[in-house]
Amino acid sequence: MPASIDQDPNSKRRALFSRFLLAGIIGFILLRTTLLAPLNAEASPQIQSTSSPTPQPTPTFDVQRLEKPVIAPGNTEQLEKGSVIYWGVCMACHGDVGQGLTDAWRDAFGPEDRNCWNKGCHGTDHPPQGFLIPKDMLIPAVAGPGRLTRFRHAQELHDFIFANMPWWDPGQLSNEEAWQVTAYILKLHNVMPVGLELTETNASAISTQYAVPQPGDDSPAVLALTGILALAGVGLIAQNLRRHRTSAPQRPNFFHHLHPPTIPALQARLRYTLGAGGLAVFLCLILLVTGILEMFYYIPVPDQAAVSIEIITTLIPFGALTRNLHFWSAQALLIVMTIHLLRVVLTGAYARHRRLNYLIGLGMLVLIILLDFTGYVLRWDEGIRWALIVGTNLLKTIPWVGGSLYHLVIGGPEPAPSSLERFYTWHIFVLTLGMICLGAWHIFRVRRDGGIAAPPPDQRIDATRITRFELVRREVLIMVIAGVILLMVSIIFPAPIERPITQTAFDVHNARAPWFFLWVQQLLKIGDPFLWGVVAPALLLLLLAILPYILSQPGDHELGKWLPRGNRIAQIIVIVLTLSLILLTILFILPRTQI
Amino acid sequence: MNNPSRRDFLKLSTDALLALAGLLGIGGLIRYLSYQFDPAPPSEFDIGPEMYFPVNSRTVLAHIPAIIIHDEKGISALSLTCTHLGCTVEERNFGFECPCHSSRYDLDGQVVRGPAGNNLKRLRVEQTEDGNLHVFTT
Repeated sequence: MPASIDQDPNSKRRALFSRFLLAGIIGFILLRTTLLAPLNAEASPQIQSTSSPTPQPTPTFDVQRLEKPVIAPGNTEQLEKGSVIYWGVCMACHGDVGQGLTDAWRDAFGPEDRNCWNKGCHGTDHPPQGFLIPKDMLIPAVAGPGRLTRFRHAQELHDFIFANMPWWDPGQLSNEEAWQVTAYILKLHNVMPVGLELTETNASAISTQYAVPQPGDDSPAVLALTGILALAGVGLIAQNLRRHRTSAPQRPNFFHHLHPPTIPALQARLRYTLGAGGLAVFLCLILLVTGILEMFYYIPVPDQAAVSIEIITTLIPFGALTRNLHFWSAQALLIVMTIHLLRVVLTGAYARHRRLNYLIGLGMLVLIILLDFTGYVLRWDEGIRWALIVGTNLLKTIPWVGGSLYHLVIGGPEPAPSSLERFYTWHIFVLTLGMICLGAWHIFRVRRDGGIAAPPPDQRIDATRITRFELVRREVLIMVIAGVILLMVSIIFPAPIERPITQTAFDVHNARAPWFFLWVQQLLKIGDPFLWGVVAPALLLLLLAILPYILSQPGDHELGKWLPRGNRIAQIIVIVLTLSLILLTILFILPRTQI
Repeated sequence: MNNPSRRDFLKLSTDALLALAGLLGIGGLIRYLSYQFDPAPPSEFDIGPEMYFPVNSRTVLAHIPAIIIHDEKGISALSLTCTHLGCTVEERNFGFECPCHSSRYDLDGQVVRGPAGNNLKRLRVEQTEDGNLHVFTT
């Protein structure tokens, strides 16, 4: 049989196929082991370690157990300081391994100190420096299987310690010291990830009930990605595809619609378009991809929303990068869209048949503002509490329809679990879908209306044209540069997240609207909320919308250059509006002088 | 073609860099999506003292899910998870039947009719120091 296989062409093909299959399988296994093995290897021993029993203290007197902890290398400073505080303040009652005030632990003190109550230190007749511990009071264990169940995560444990410990003098610990003790107790409890520094922005991700897999350090990979993209950008700049390549004739698709075989070189001048429209498309794509990735882990439930975000940013590989990219792209998009809008008005590019596309673009700006606001609310942390309440209460001030509009948006008499679900649906589905539809329409109209923009009259005879390939090269170049900048910003500046919303607001340090609504917040200080919070912004939007319809437009000979004479009034209006918004924002940010 | 020009080399290396960035992105995507932080389900269940399970009784504990059988041979436990595709089997007078694909087992958990290929799993039962019985699912 083996001999006949070699002669049969069919079997030969089969053998070739199986060799490819084998190579594919080996490649897949290699990929899996290199990419996933470290993750799994980190995960399993941690989880097992929680179920291992707490070592039982030996009943014999052991001086070493009472010695001051030795600072061991490799631990975070927070953990080390926590061990010292625990040793000095907590250990006497809660035990050296967190076992609580068990008989066995009291035996470790030495014969004369064993009876805490009779000795006088903690009895009814205690000296001034002592304090009373009721004899029947249970001093709980703080570590070991089945312990700490009343706290879901490190944040709740910290809050309890901060508010209630030490028992005889609550409030003695500073916030920082409470974090140090929390870290040490979680280490005793075998759930503290090695090398992690607990803060308000990651503690909710650390469960008290099971050890989470170690958060990996993905900064080398992210830096490598940034470097490679930067190098590619250099390559793209150095490249100059002047040779006209011919492509095989194809049925034109949407991509070809946006990229005709050649376009006039002057239409694609960067100093005319500022590249803002293309950049906005790129940012939208990043937002779409990172947003989908966040949906895999985000939980739109009030007591889990902020927790799930902290899990994304603290534990999940590349999760912090994903969220930071999403956040910074959203902020950048708002600015890029504003620049795009200003460019269109200041060049009079909305003239005549392009008026419709101007309105579509304005609609997209409104959608993006709503998307930014709903996305901001999805954090559901202490930072958004007041912006949510104020923003939604503004709806109520609208006469006649305010109440029903409020219910429509919020889904209840006040912000509640159902409101978060609504904001989630608005954000990830309704508004995003609207954005995709309007975006496609907007881009389609650009070509229908005759391309990016007509060149200035004196240059219209210049017949230089660039090819589709050159256009794509420029687009890729802009994307790479923007991508590298976004990556660097995302590495350096984390997106904001605060502690999950609690029933009682005990820390009103952030009563600010998101930055793009600070001007509204400043206006609201003037007076009537309906007038300044609803009517004024609506009028502003209306004014922008009717600009091309009521004011004079630039003539044909003026198109394609900055600041044409024909629409001077419109230009002055948008510049004044922009400056006012910036001024109002600055007024809000400036420290108020006390009278 | 044998002696590629500077421009060809530039284009090739730029394309390679972009492809490498894409590969890194895919690798990161796989790592991002494979992260699991939920704890493993419990594998040990405290089912209380022996007196809860008198002789000649068959007690279904739906939360494990298992059936505790106390007969003349002593106390034993059978998993109620169908060995076919994991549905919980239901008790019948002839033994057990799976509601999903109608596999049948006899009173001792032996397969009577497919599609299940294996008998219901026997679970380890142990008495701990406090006198309670513990069932182990692994």
